Amino acid sequence: MLRTHAQTAGVSLTAQQPLNNIARVAIQALAAVLGGTNSLHTDAYDEALALPTEESATIALRTQQIIAYETGVTHTIDPLAGSYYVEWLTDEMERQAMEIIEEIRRMGGMVRAIEEGYFLRELAEASYRYQQEVERKERIIVGVNAFTDEIPLKVPIQLVDPEVERVQAERLARVRRERDPKRVEEALKGLRRAAVEGQNTMPHFVECALAYCTLGEMMDVLREVYGTYQEPAYV
Amino acid sequence: MQGVDRRIRVLIAKPGLDGHDRGAKVVARALRDAGMEVIYTGLRQTPEMIVSAAIQEDVDAIGLSILSGAHMHYFREVKRLLEEEGASDILLFGGGIIPDEDVPKLKALGVAAVFGPGTSTQEIVDFLRQAVPERWKAQGLA
Ligand code: B12
Repeated sequence: MLRTHAQTAGVSLTAQQPLNNIARVAIQALAAVLGGTNSLHTDAYDEALALPTEESATIALRTQQIIAYETGVTHTIDPLAGSYYVEWLTDEMERQAMEIIEEIRRMGGMVRAIEEGYFLRELAEASYRYQQEVERKERIIVGVNAFTDEIPLKVPIQLVDPEVERVQAERLARVRRERDPKRVEEALKGLRRAAVEGQNTMPHFVECALAYCTLGEMMDVLREVYGTYQEPAYV
Repeated sequence: MQGVDRRIRVLIAKPGLDGHDRGAKVVARALRDAGMEVIYTGLRQTPEMIVSAAIQEDVDAIGLSILSGAHMHYFREVKRLLEEEGASDILLFGGGIIPDEDVPKLKALGVAAVFGPGTSTQEIVDFLRQAVPERWKAQGLA
């Protein structure tokens, strides 16, 4: 059985008139439910401003609860079944997706396509096209290129206390001080060996974690063995 | 206003672990389409790498794109290194997710302009077309 997760589109949420984002998220979340998603993440209205506040995150949750308990959308398994337009749109999306999959196949598969910068190029093209459509007002974004208010509305945002960084650095230093260095060394050595020999690295990650190796230390080993991804130059 | 036929050269840079490159690429492409010479650094650059690329490429301006929340740190570092290298004539500006509260603090550091989400790229083009030739004039280059 195919299970799906959906998240509302963060990139559609705006810094201008941020409370409008509550409406955008509600419409997108409803679309996801109508489409039969199994799980759902709703973005907070301050998505384009900062990490969410307690309040904005709660409203995002309440939006889901309003859809679940107040709209009746859950009374039937597939409320849009039989809609001519939705069926057509589904077929059309499938057709276009298959075209892209074919194109990737012709290029020699997924790995080749990544190496040749196919995805980076397609993404950059699409985002530039989108930006131009907005700037030419071929695509209207309420509060950004239309219906802009004279007085910008401010909402309180989450500011991360610099103290958080100090506390975390201290905790890290303490972990490093109090762990068994011998066990750390052995665990990292085991991980390196497994990576070099192409064995299952998972049991070694578990041992590393039990030995209190940091994520950075584990990743350093992998970087050393596998190298790192170099983005093909493209703008 | 622009009797200068010298082309504006800009370095667009992504400092640190911030992987959000959509905005940086959109801005880089828009500046290029507007006739500027644009060098894009790619992801995960240190302030040292950025400043040394800027000097090597002899750019007029450095644009930092920061959506990670680490803007105070990176703008300060890049500014400091520019001064250390005697390259403070390079215009420093940028954009990304930067709280309004921090904009005056960045300006006080010497960051010429900060552009947030929803900015039209034309606004950024206009800014550079004004600010860079002004600097040339001040340096007696134009
Ligand atoms: C798309 C996106 C992603 C994509 C990025 C894809 C990519 N390759 O770019 C993915 C899914 C990978 C992602 C991941 C994460 N993200 Co994210 N992401 C966003 C999102 C939804 C949109 C950003 C975007 O592309 N906008 C479109 C472009 C065109 O706009 P822009 O970048 O803002 O650029 C404009 C201006 O800012 C300005 N500008 C930008 N750069 C520059 C440079 C110069 C020189 C100039 C002049 C102007 C300028 O001009 C541009 C045109 O107007 C934002 C929220 C939002 N709506 O802004 C969150 C957001 C930036 N992400 C966030 C977070 C937390 C993360 C993660 C850490 C989540 C996690 N826990 O894993 C990771 C980090 C990954 C990493 N290594 O950095 C936070 C950052 C919070 C903060 N800074 O306080 C945000 C704000 C969401 C939120 N509210 O929580 N993300």
